[in-house]
Amino acid sequence: MNEFSNRISAQRCILQVVNRKRWEKEELLGLSSKAIERWISVNQINPSCYLVELIKTASTQLFFLANKSQEQISEDYKMISQEISNISKEIELEVTC
Amino acid sequence: MHIYAFGSICRGDISLGSDIDLLAIVEEYDPRISPDTFSIYSYKRIKELWQEGNPFAWHLSLEARLIFASDRTDYLELLGSPKKYTKCVQDCEKFFSLFQEAHTSIIKGSNSIVFDFSIVFLSIRNIATCFSLGVNGHPNFSRNSALCLASNSIPLNLGLYQILERARILCTRGYGEKLTDDEINTTIQGLSEIHEWMHDLVEKAKAHE
Repeated sequence: MNEFSNRISAQRCILQVVNRKRWEKEELLGLSSKAIERWISVNQINPSCYLVELIKTASTQLFFLANKSQEQISEDYKMISQEISNISKEIELEVTC
Repeated sequence: MHIYAFGSICRGDISLGSDIDLLAIVEEYDPRISPDTFSIYSYKRIKELWQEGNPFAWHLSLEARLIFASDRTDYLELLGSPKKYTKCVQDCEKFFSLFQEAHTSIIKGSNSIVFDFSIVFLSIRNIATCFSLGVNGHPNFSRNSALCLASNSIPLNLGLYQILERARILCTRGYGEKLTDDEINTTIQGLSEIHEWMHDLVEKAKAHE
């Protein structure tokens, strides 16, 4: 499996963990900063809570996945798999507590 | 540092949902250049993309417009044309595989279905772009490249196509009307048609190779 597909899979995993919780109005649609802002606003989530901080960190790691499309063809950045995996576990704890 | 505009603004096919694609080519990390605003590449990586004949290199070569150059040169123009694009089959297979993963996730009852639809749209667009560059000989880098492949264009109901495009914009720009249950169910039914179309493009790319 190539890096590009791995990064898409990592994003899907994080969204699936976040969206295990039934959000009041709308699920988290993506990890772009604008998708995160929409999710916070629509569901009236505290923007300074730890869960939001974790999601924004994951977003930073996977930014080019979430926001752009053209450069995705170019297989550009290295996968930061361990970091993403750790963030995903922390998000899971936050969502379930 | 060099800054270029590329994408819809250079083609003139802008719409209300269009963003402005900006490329920054830099020597090293520059705190003034935000990844929220720019696609950021090093000079080394840009040269590699040119050497690989990468579709993004072709996109930039054919469409990017210089906005700023710290040395007053047009860096991309000086690079000349990228090498011939030779990975069409490999790239088409990669985006077909990406579609299949999203399709599988949807069938399994994804709780993030709008995201999976957005990946379906991304796969459609990128496989069409690669096909247009590698097989058609008329590269098309637009958002709607899948509608511009003549007899190989995606044979999908335009309404369904637009729902997938909306999903993509929702997931990337956080902009647009939420998808209704009816729209989601109708779109799921169109996925097998997309599967057939992509499979056909991969086979045609192989035959062309």
